[in-house]
Amino acid sequence: MATQTVNQSTAAVATQEIHTDTTVKWFLLGAVGYFAIVGIVALIIAAKFVWPQFLGSISYFTYGRMRPLHVNGMLFGWLLAADMGLAYYIVPRLCGVKLWSEKLGVATSILWNIIIVSAVVTLLGGYQKGLEYADLPTPVAVLVVIAWVMFGINIFATVATRKYEQMYVSTWYLMGTILWTAFVYLTGNFATLLPGMTGVNQANLNWMYTHNAVGLIFTPAGLAAAYYFIPRASNTPLHSHRLSMVGFWSLAFVYVWTGAHHMLHGPISQWLQTISIVFSIMLLIPVWAVVYNFIATMKGQWHQLNDNVSLKFLMSGTIFYLLTCFQGPMHSLRSVNAIVSKTDWIPGHAHMAVLGTFSFFAMAGVYYVVPRIFKTTLHSEAIANWSFWLFLIGGLGMFTALWLGGFWQGWQWNNPSIPFIDTVVALKPVWLVRFFSGIMIFSGIVLFLFNIMSTALGSGQAEAEPARS
Amino acid sequence: MKDYTYQSVYFAYLLFVLFASGAVYFFIRSIKSGYLGPNSEEPKYRMLKDDPQGDVKQPTGANAARRS
Repeated sequence: MATQTVNQSTAAVATQEIHTDTTVKWFLLGAVGYFAIVGIVALIIAAKFVWPQFLGSISYFTYGRMRPLHVNGMLFGWLLAADMGLAYYIVPRLCGVKLWSEKLGVATSILWNIIIVSAVVTLLGGYQKGLEYADLPTPVAVLVVIAWVMFGINIFATVATRKYEQMYVSTWYLMGTILWTAFVYLTGNFATLLPGMTGVNQANLNWMYTHNAVGLIFTPAGLAAAYYFIPRASNTPLHSHRLSMVGFWSLAFVYVWTGAHHMLHGPISQWLQTISIVFSIMLLIPVWAVVYNFIATMKGQWHQLNDNVSLKFLMSGTIFYLLTCFQGPMHSLRSVNAIVSKTDWIPGHAHMAVLGTFSFFAMAGVYYVVPRIFKTTLHSEAIANWSFWLFLIGGLGMFTALWLGGFWQGWQWNNPSIPFIDTVVALKPVWLVRFFSGIMIFSGIVLFLFNIMSTALGSGQAEAEPARS
Repeated sequence: MKDYTYQSVYFAYLLFVLFASGAVYFFIRSIKSGYLGPNSEEPKYRMLKDDPQGDVKQPTGANAARRS
């Protein structure tokens, strides 16, 4: 395919050699591969809700093994790996220097792949801790800690050698991610196993970890990517850097206190529940600061969504972020929680956060970064658009079905005259919608994988062709 | 009714205090470094220029026509 080079300048070509991006390539291609593999697991789980006998007699495919594999595979195999890969891309550029150690980055990537493969083997084999988001057996969790330390050293050392005194907000968010994750992960995976940490004690720490895994790991990592790629993809300055810092610091102050809202109406102190509710409502402050900033950045630039697939993912993710972060504080109200807690509403909410928001941000980043690091064009913009619409329509179908079904389920559960099994049977149509929405989402993943891998594998051919100015 | 407090709550709140203290410390440092001052908007302009990857090759076919 004939190509042309835009914005070509001698200075830019000279600086292009600064970043080798080997680590970025390893992380991103691995993450996209795991996204597809774990997508199959997700489909199997969705099918099991509709046809409970499906693969039921094979121990490896039972729900108890598939579900943790899906959760951990999506969180650590796809999303966190993609966010780490994007961090290796973003931080050196924002700091105006090379990555501190490309070798350390590649070693981290290799270790991360060992972790994911170990997770697949152990979780399929039934070896797990039985703690939400902390299912990985302890030896594998130790490897995660080691990999995270390696990642942290590389990023902080790069930041320490930066050219510019003032750091862009994405750098702040990524540094926050690294520090918060260290505490949060250790609490969820190791403090929960301390002697005496059983029952409610263990649940308290586990939910603190689980909620903060979303709020202090995937949220700051995802926002770092969005703060970088929205201005870059639209070639428009961020609306307000000062406002972005207000959003960052309010997230830092508020988020960590909210985990106990997962145990409302449970056997924990009322004052602890009340504090978690108050801070959950206060989350609206950082959320509004972020969403307003993103939307204001796009003022006068919305037409770019017509032919910019990264922006499509980014702005859809922004709307999902607003919705999910409005839902979250509302769930934490005792009256609402009494209806939606433990129902299908919650997976609908969680999928909108992890898939609709943070995976959309990550996919936008991957679509933006991969052609650039392989110095080529995207294999197919048409396929990229197809993947976007499949994700969006499939995602909306899934989220909406689970919200409506979950609310309906909650009302039924609050009526003691309805036998429980009747509430299960009643939800079958909802789960059927979820299954077919899942097929659409999985089709989007396959197209995404094909497009990214074709871009990477075809890059040599494109590079061999002379660029036209 | 006695409102029992589990030991894990103290552990969790120890972490909360640690996080909050760290946030206060670095927040004050960031103000001293001018992040909320008159030059706080400078990084958002710089980040648009410090990435040489604007050189990504664009297709010259149908997609390029749509862009123009």
